[in-house]
Amino acid sequence: MDGVTDRLDRWADPPLLVLASLADEPKHGYAITQDVAETMGVRLSAGTLYAVIARLEARGLIEPLESDDRRRPYRITMAGAEALAQQSERMSKVASVARERLSTRLGWAGA
Amino acid sequence: MRPPLARAALALYPPSWRARYGDEVLALLDDSGGGPAAVASLAWHALPAWFCPTRHLHDRPARMRASLATALMSWSMLAGLGLVFAQLTQLQGITVPGHLQVRWAYLVFDVTLAASALIAGLGGLPLWVLMLRRARREQRVRDTLCLLLPVLAPVAYLAGLVVTVRMIGGANGVSQAWFGVVTAAGFAAAAIAAAGPGLALRRLQPRGPALRLAAAAAGVSAAVMAVAAVAIVVAVTSLNLWARQFAGYHDGTLSGIYLALVVAAATVTTVSAARGTRAALAQP
Repeated sequence: MDGVTDRLDRWADPPLLVLASLADEPKHGYAITQDVAETMGVRLSAGTLYAVIARLEARGLIEPLESDDRRRPYRITMAGAEALAQQSERMSKVASVARERLSTRLGWAGA
Repeated sequence: MRPPLARAALALYPPSWRARYGDEVLALLDDSGGGPAAVASLAWHALPAWFCPTRHLHDRPARMRASLATALMSWSMLAGLGLVFAQLTQLQGITVPGHLQVRWAYLVFDVTLAASALIAGLGGLPLWVLMLRRARREQRVRDTLCLLLPVLAPVAYLAGLVVTVRMIGGANGVSQAWFGVVTAAGFAAAAIAAAGPGLALRRLQPRGPALRLAAAAAGVSAAVMAVAAVAIVVAVTSLNLWARQFAGYHDGTLSGIYLALVVAAATVTTVSAARGTRAALAQP
Protein backbone atom coordinates (compact mmCIF):
# COMPACT_ATOMS: atom_id res chain seq x y z
CA MET A 1 0.00 0.00 0.00
CA ASP A 2 1.44 3.37 -0.91
CA GLY A 3 1.57 6.61 1.03
CA VAL A 4 -1.47 8.06 -0.70
CA THR A 5 -3.82 5.33 0.43
CA ASP A 6 -2.15 5.17 3.84
CA ARG A 7 -3.41 8.68 4.42
CA LEU A 8 -6.99 7.55 3.84
CA ASP A 9 -7.08 5.09 6.66
CA ARG A 10 -9.07 7.04 9.21
CA TRP A 11 -12.75 6.59 9.54
CA ALA A 12 -14.67 9.59 8.28
CA ASP A 13 -11.57 10.86 6.63
CA PRO A 14 -12.97 13.40 4.14
CA PRO A 15 -10.97 12.04 1.16
CA LEU A 16 -12.40 8.61 1.79
CA LEU A 17 -15.92 9.98 2.05
CA VAL A 18 -15.55 11.82 -1.24
CA LEU A 19 -14.14 8.74 -2.98
CA ALA A 20 -17.01 6.66 -1.62
CA SER A 21 -19.52 9.23 -2.81
CA LEU A 22 -18.07 9.19 -6.32
CA ALA A 23 -17.86 5.39 -6.45
CA ASP A 24 -21.22 4.95 -8.19
CA GLU A 25 -21.43 7.96 -10.52
CA PRO A 26 -19.84 11.36 -11.21
CA LYS A 27 -21.08 14.21 -9.00
CA HIS A 28 -20.43 17.91 -8.62
CA GLY A 29 -19.52 19.58 -5.34
CA TYR A 30 -23.00 20.18 -3.99
CA ALA A 31 -24.15 16.67 -4.95
CA ILE A 32 -21.15 15.21 -3.11
CA THR A 33 -21.92 17.11 0.09
CA GLN A 34 -25.59 16.08 -0.11
CA ASP A 35 -24.71 12.44 -0.75
CA VAL A 36 -22.12 12.30 2.05
CA ALA A 37 -24.54 13.93 4.48
CA GLU A 38 -27.45 11.63 3.59
CA THR A 39 -25.66 8.30 3.26
CA MET A 40 -22.73 8.67 5.65
CA GLY A 41 -24.03 11.23 8.11
CA VAL A 42 -21.09 13.62 7.75
CA ARG A 43 -21.42 17.26 6.73
CA LEU A 44 -18.55 18.51 4.59
CA SER A 45 -18.03 22.27 4.43
CA ALA A 46 -17.13 23.95 1.15
CA GLY A 47 -13.60 24.60 2.41
CA THR A 48 -13.05 21.00 3.44
CA LEU A 49 -14.62 19.59 0.29
CA TYR A 50 -12.55 21.60 -2.14
CA ALA A 51 -9.35 21.08 -0.18
CA VAL A 52 -10.05 17.34 -0.54
CA ILE A 53 -11.02 17.60 -4.20
CA ALA A 54 -7.77 19.48 -4.96
CA ARG A 55 -5.70 16.80 -3.17
CA LEU A 56 -7.51 13.86 -4.77
CA GLU A 57 -7.25 15.44 -8.20
CA ALA A 58 -3.54 16.14 -7.73
CA ARG A 59 -2.98 12.48 -6.83
CA GLY A 60 -4.97 11.23 -9.78
CA LEU A 61 -7.65 9.58 -7.65
CA ILE A 62 -10.46 11.64 -9.17
CA GLU A 63 -10.74 13.66 -12.37
CA PRO A 64 -12.93 16.56 -13.48
CA LEU A 65 -15.37 16.15 -16.35
CA GLU A 66 -16.10 18.78 -18.95
CA SER A 67 -18.94 21.08 -18.03
CA ASP A 68 -20.43 24.27 -19.38
CA ASP A 69 -21.85 24.97 -15.96
CA ARG A 70 -20.04 26.35 -12.92
CA ARG A 71 -20.90 23.01 -11.27
CA ARG A 72 -18.14 20.81 -12.60
CA PRO A 73 -18.67 17.10 -11.97
CA TYR A 74 -15.90 14.75 -10.85
CA ARG A 75 -15.51 11.04 -11.35
CA ILE A 76 -13.38 8.50 -9.59
CA THR A 77 -10.38 7.19 -11.57
CA MET A 78 -9.15 3.61 -11.70
CA ALA A 79 -6.44 4.48 -9.18
CA GLY A 80 -9.06 6.07 -6.97
CA ALA A 81 -11.28 3.00 -7.18
CA GLU A 82 -8.36 0.77 -6.23
CA ALA A 83 -7.45 2.99 -3.30
CA LEU A 84 -11.05 3.00 -2.13
CA ALA A 85 -11.31 -0.78 -2.49
CA GLN A 86 -8.15 -1.31 -0.45
CA GLN A 87 -9.32 1.03 2.26
CA SER A 88 -12.78 -0.51 2.33
CA GLU A 89 -11.21 -3.94 2.75
CA ARG A 90 -9.06 -2.72 5.58
CA MET A 91 -12.00 -0.99 7.26
CA SER A 92 -14.08 -4.13 6.87
CA LYS A 93 -11.45 -6.16 8.67
CA VAL A 94 -11.21 -3.59 11.43
CA ALA A 95 -15.00 -3.54 11.78
CA SER A 96 -15.15 -7.33 11.81
CA VAL A 97 -12.47 -7.65 14.48
CA ALA A 98 -14.07 -4.90 16.53
CA ARG A 99 -17.52 -6.52 16.36
CA GLU A 100 -16.14 -9.93 17.25
CA ARG A 101 -14.18 -8.67 20.25
CA LEU A 102 -16.97 -6.46 21.50
CA SER A 103 -19.31 -9.40 21.24
CA THR A 104 -16.96 -11.65 23.20
CA ARG A 105 -16.24 -9.15 25.92
CA LEU A 106 -19.45 -7.20 26.30
CA GLY A 107 -22.01 -9.41 24.66
CA TRP A 108 -22.63 -6.63 22.15
CA ALA A 109 -24.73 -7.88 19.25
CA GLY A 110 -24.08 -4.98 16.91
CA ALA A 111 -26.39 -2.52 15.28
CA MET B 1 -24.84 33.54 1.61
CA ARG B 2 -23.60 37.03 1.09
CA PRO B 3 -21.38 36.89 -2.03
CA PRO B 4 -18.97 39.61 -0.84
CA LEU B 5 -18.09 37.50 2.22
CA ALA B 6 -17.59 34.37 0.17
CA ARG B 7 -15.54 36.29 -2.38
CA ALA B 8 -13.45 37.79 0.41
CA ALA B 9 -12.76 34.30 1.76
CA LEU B 10 -11.89 33.09 -1.73
CA ALA B 11 -9.52 36.02 -2.17
CA LEU B 12 -7.38 34.50 0.57
CA TYR B 13 -6.50 31.55 -1.70
CA PRO B 14 -3.57 31.44 -4.12
CA PRO B 15 -4.47 32.83 -7.57
CA SER B 16 -4.00 29.46 -9.28
CA TRP B 17 -6.36 27.80 -6.78
CA ARG B 18 -8.97 30.52 -7.27
CA ALA B 19 -8.72 30.25 -11.03
CA ARG B 20 -9.27 26.50 -10.90
CA TYR B 21 -11.89 26.08 -8.15
CA GLY B 22 -13.25 29.57 -7.42
CA ASP B 23 -16.39 29.35 -9.55
CA GLU B 24 -17.20 25.85 -8.34
CA VAL B 25 -16.89 26.90 -4.69
CA LEU B 26 -19.16 29.90 -5.25
CA ALA B 27 -21.68 27.66 -7.01
CA LEU B 28 -21.59 25.24 -4.08
CA LEU B 29 -22.12 28.06 -1.60
CA ASP B 30 -25.00 29.38 -3.72
CA ASP B 31 -26.60 25.92 -3.75
CA SER B 32 -26.05 25.12 -0.10
CA GLY B 33 -26.86 28.59 1.20
CA GLY B 34 -23.84 28.44 3.50
CA GLY B 35 -23.63 31.00 6.27
CA PRO B 36 -20.74 32.59 8.15
CA ALA B 37 -19.55 29.18 9.36
CA ALA B 38 -19.12 27.96 5.79
CA VAL B 39 -17.26 31.15 4.89
CA ALA B 40 -15.05 30.81 7.98
CA SER B 41 -14.25 27.22 7.02
CA LEU B 42 -13.45 28.36 3.50
CA ALA B 43 -11.14 31.06 4.85
CA TRP B 44 -9.44 28.61 7.22
CA HIS B 45 -8.62 26.17 4.44
CA ALA B 46 -6.83 28.93 2.52
CA LEU B 47 -3.82 28.46 4.81
CA PRO B 48 -2.94 24.92 3.71
CA ALA B 49 -3.63 25.96 0.12
CA TRP B 50 -0.71 28.38 0.45
CA PHE B 51 1.61 26.23 2.53
CA CYS B 52 1.01 22.92 0.75
CA PRO B 53 0.07 23.89 -2.81
CA THR B 54 -1.05 20.98 -4.92
CA ARG B 55 1.29 20.17 -7.78
CA HIS B 56 -1.29 20.12 -10.55
CA LEU B 57 -2.07 23.80 -9.86
CA HIS B 58 1.55 24.84 -9.84
CA ASP B 59 2.08 27.23 -12.74
CA ARG B 60 5.88 27.38 -12.78
CA PRO B 61 6.31 30.19 -15.32
CA ALA B 62 3.72 32.32 -13.48
CA ARG B 63 5.51 31.63 -10.19
CA MET B 64 8.86 32.64 -11.70
CA ARG B 65 7.43 35.82 -13.21
CA ALA B 66 5.72 36.86 -9.97
CA SER B 67 8.83 36.12 -7.92
CA LEU B 68 11.04 38.01 -10.34
CA ALA B 69 8.79 41.08 -10.22
CA THR B 70 8.67 41.08 -6.41
CA ALA B 71 12.35 40.29 -5.95
CA LEU B 72 13.33 43.01 -8.42
CA MET B 73 11.33 45.62 -6.52
CA SER B 74 12.59 44.59 -3.07
CA TRP B 75 16.16 44.22 -4.39
CA SER B 76 16.00 47.79 -5.71
CA MET B 77 14.80 49.07 -2.34
CA LEU B 78 17.56 47.12 -0.59
CA ALA B 79 20.16 48.45 -3.01
CA GLY B 80 18.84 51.98 -2.36
CA LEU B 81 19.15 51.45 1.38
CA GLY B 82 22.66 50.13 0.80
CA LEU B 83 23.63 53.22 -1.17
CA VAL B 84 22.30 55.41 1.66
CA PHE B 85 24.50 53.39 4.01
CA ALA B 86 27.51 53.87 1.74
CA GLN B 87 26.82 57.60 1.42
CA LEU B 88 26.52 58.14 5.17
CA THR B 89 29.48 56.01 6.21
CA GLN B 90 32.08 54.98 3.67
CA LEU B 91 31.87 58.05 1.48
CA GLN B 92 32.14 60.30 4.57
CA GLY B 93 35.44 58.61 5.38
CA ILE B 94 34.07 57.11 8.57
CA THR B 95 36.51 54.40 9.54
CA VAL B 96 36.88 53.11 13.04
CA PRO B 97 40.34 52.31 14.37
CA GLY B 98 40.30 49.22 16.55
CA HIS B 99 36.99 47.99 15.14
CA LEU B 100 37.98 45.74 12.31
CA GLN B 101 34.47 44.42 11.89
CA VAL B 102 33.34 47.81 10.58
CA ARG B 103 36.09 47.95 7.96
CA TRP B 104 35.39 44.33 7.00
CA ALA B 105 31.68 45.06 6.83
CA TYR B 106 32.37 47.94 4.41
CA LEU B 107 34.47 45.66 2.23
CA VAL B 108 31.96 42.81 2.30
CA PHE B 109 29.15 45.24 1.46
CA ASP B 110 31.01 46.73 -1.52
CA VAL B 111 31.93 43.34 -2.96
CA THR B 112 28.55 41.69 -2.42
CA LEU B 113 26.51 44.65 -3.69
CA ALA B 114 28.57 44.72 -6.90
CA ALA B 115 28.45 40.93 -7.28
CA SER B 116 24.71 40.82 -6.67
CA ALA B 117 24.03 43.54 -9.25
CA LEU B 118 26.31 41.83 -11.75
CA ILE B 119 24.67 38.42 -11.29
CA ALA B 120 21.16 39.87 -11.53
CA GLY B 121 22.12 41.90 -14.59
CA LEU B 122 23.80 39.07 -16.45
CA GLY B 123 21.10 36.55 -15.53
CA GLY B 124 18.26 38.87 -16.44
CA LEU B 125 19.76 40.30 -19.63
CA PRO B 126 18.65 37.52 -22.02
CA LEU B 127 15.08 37.72 -20.71
CA TRP B 128 15.09 41.51 -20.94
CA VAL B 129 16.40 41.43 -24.53
CA LEU B 130 13.86 38.74 -25.45
CA MET B 131 10.96 40.76 -24.06
CA LEU B 132 12.22 44.01 -25.59
CA ARG B 133 12.49 42.40 -29.03
CA ARG B 134 9.02 40.96 -28.76
CA ALA B 135 7.53 44.26 -27.56
CA ARG B 136 9.14 46.10 -30.47
CA ARG B 137 8.19 43.42 -32.99
CA GLU B 138 4.58 43.55 -31.86
CA GLN B 139 4.71 47.37 -31.60
CA ARG B 140 3.73 47.34 -27.95
CA VAL B 141 4.78 50.86 -27.04
CA ARG B 142 3.79 50.66 -23.37
CA ASP B 143 5.70 47.44 -22.82
CA THR B 144 8.74 48.83 -24.64
CA LEU B 145 8.64 51.87 -22.39
CA CYS B 146 8.26 49.68 -19.29
CA LEU B 147 11.28 47.63 -20.30
CA LEU B 148 13.36 50.76 -20.88
CA LEU B 149 12.50 52.23 -17.46
CA PRO B 150 15.48 50.54 -15.70
CA VAL B 151 17.68 52.69 -17.96
CA LEU B 152 15.53 55.81 -18.27
CA ALA B 153 14.63 56.24 -14.58
CA PRO B 154 18.21 56.18 -13.20
CA VAL B 155 19.44 58.44 -16.02
CA ALA B 156 16.64 60.95 -15.33
CA TYR B 157 17.35 60.75 -11.60
CA LEU B 158 21.09 61.27 -11.98
CA ALA B 159 20.54 64.19 -14.36
CA GLY B 160 18.13 65.76 -11.88
CA LEU B 161 20.59 65.12 -9.07
CA VAL B 162 23.45 66.85 -10.88
CA VAL B 163 21.28 69.88 -11.67
CA THR B 164 19.91 70.04 -8.11
CA VAL B 165 23.34 69.83 -6.49
CA ARG B 166 24.71 72.52 -8.80
CA MET B 167 21.80 74.81 -8.03
CA ILE B 168 21.54 74.40 -4.28
CA GLY B 169 24.72 72.63 -3.18
CA GLY B 170 27.41 74.38 -1.19
CA ALA B 171 31.00 73.51 -0.39
CA ASN B 172 29.79 70.77 1.98
CA GLY B 173 27.18 69.39 -0.35
CA VAL B 174 23.46 69.82 0.23
CA SER B 175 21.59 70.49 3.46
CA GLN B 176 20.04 67.69 5.53
CA ALA B 177 16.55 68.52 4.24
CA TRP B 178 17.69 68.44 0.64
CA PHE B 179 19.53 65.20 1.32
CA GLY B 180 16.18 63.77 2.43
CA VAL B 181 14.50 65.03 -0.75
CA VAL B 182 17.24 63.64 -2.96
CA THR B 183 17.12 60.29 -1.14
CA ALA B 184 13.33 60.05 -1.44
CA ALA B 185 13.59 60.88 -5.15
CA GLY B 186 16.22 58.16 -5.48
CA PHE B 187 13.92 55.56 -3.95
CA ALA B 188 11.10 56.71 -6.22
CA ALA B 189 13.37 56.36 -9.25
CA ALA B 190 14.45 52.88 -8.09
CA ALA B 191 10.82 51.85 -7.60
CA ILE B 192 9.87 53.11 -11.08
CA ALA B 193 12.91 51.39 -12.63
CA ALA B 194 11.96 48.09 -10.97
CA ALA B 195 8.23 48.36 -11.65
CA GLY B 196 8.77 48.65 -15.42
CA PRO B 197 10.11 45.15 -16.04
CA GLY B 198 7.67 43.79 -13.45
CA LEU B 199 4.74 45.16 -15.45
CA ALA B 200 6.24 43.92 -18.69
CA LEU B 201 6.63 40.42 -17.19
CA ARG B 202 2.97 40.48 -16.25
CA ARG B 203 1.78 41.64 -19.66
CA LEU B 204 4.11 39.73 -21.97
CA GLN B 205 4.10 36.52 -19.88
CA PRO B 206 7.42 35.14 -21.16
CA ARG B 207 8.29 31.47 -20.65
CA GLY B 208 11.23 29.24 -21.47
CA PRO B 209 14.95 29.03 -20.72
CA ALA B 210 15.52 32.80 -20.49
CA LEU B 211 12.87 33.04 -17.76
CA ARG B 212 14.38 30.08 -15.88
CA LEU B 213 17.86 31.59 -16.14
CA ALA B 214 16.61 34.93 -14.81
CA ALA B 215 14.78 33.25 -11.92
CA ALA B 216 17.81 31.14 -11.01
CA ALA B 217 20.11 34.17 -11.24
CA ALA B 218 17.71 36.14 -9.05
CA GLY B 219 18.07 33.45 -6.37
CA VAL B 220 21.87 33.66 -6.42
CA SER B 221 21.78 37.45 -6.58
CA ALA B 222 19.37 37.62 -3.63
CA ALA B 223 21.55 35.28 -1.57
CA VAL B 224 24.59 37.48 -2.23
CA MET B 225 22.55 40.59 -1.46
CA ALA B 226 21.49 39.05 1.84
CA VAL B 227 25.18 38.97 2.77
CA ALA B 228 25.38 42.68 1.88
CA ALA B 229 22.41 43.30 4.18
CA VAL B 230 24.17 41.44 7.00
CA ALA B 231 27.24 43.63 6.40
CA ILE B 232 25.09 46.75 6.70
CA VAL B 233 23.59 45.50 9.96
CA VAL B 234 27.03 44.67 11.37
CA ALA B 235 28.50 48.05 10.39
CA VAL B 236 25.59 50.21 11.56
CA THR B 237 25.19 48.26 14.81
CA SER B 238 28.92 48.42 15.48
CA LEU B 239 29.08 52.14 14.84
CA ASN B 240 26.13 52.81 17.14
CA LEU B 241 27.19 50.48 19.94
CA TRP B 242 30.93 50.82 20.12
CA ALA B 243 31.99 53.86 18.18
CA ARG B 244 29.32 56.48 18.54
CA GLN B 245 31.86 59.26 18.06
CA PHE B 246 32.28 57.98 14.52
CA ALA B 247 28.56 57.74 14.00
CA GLY B 248 28.12 61.31 15.21
CA TYR B 249 25.07 62.31 13.25
CA HIS B 250 23.44 58.88 13.26
CA ASP B 251 20.50 59.05 15.59
CA GLY B 252 19.83 55.74 17.38
CA THR B 253 16.11 55.69 16.53
CA LEU B 254 16.74 56.45 12.88
CA SER B 255 19.38 53.74 12.78
CA GLY B 256 16.87 51.29 14.25
CA ILE B 257 14.24 52.19 11.65
CA TYR B 258 16.86 51.97 8.94
CA LEU B 259 17.98 48.50 10.07
CA ALA B 260 14.37 47.28 10.25
CA LEU B 261 13.87 48.43 6.65
CA VAL B 262 17.07 46.66 5.58
CA VAL B 263 16.00 43.42 7.25
CA ALA B 264 12.49 43.65 5.77
CA ALA B 265 13.77 44.32 2.23
CA ALA B 266 16.38 41.56 2.51
CA THR B 267 13.76 39.08 3.76
CA VAL B 268 11.28 39.86 0.97
CA THR B 269 14.05 39.69 -1.64
CA THR B 270 15.38 36.37 -0.36
CA VAL B 271 12.00 34.68 0.06
CA SER B 272 10.65 35.84 -3.30
CA ALA B 273 13.80 34.97 -5.19
CA ALA B 274 14.00 31.58 -3.48
CA ARG B 275 10.43 30.74 -4.55
CA GLY B 276 11.22 31.72 -8.13
CA THR B 277 14.44 29.71 -8.10
CA ARG B 278 12.65 26.68 -6.72
CA ALA B 279 10.15 26.91 -9.57
CA ALA B 280 13.01 27.31 -12.07
CA LEU B 281 14.83 24.24 -10.79
CA ALA B 282 11.76 22.04 -10.25
CA GLN B 283 11.21 19.08 -12.51
CA PRO B 284 8.51 19.79 -15.09
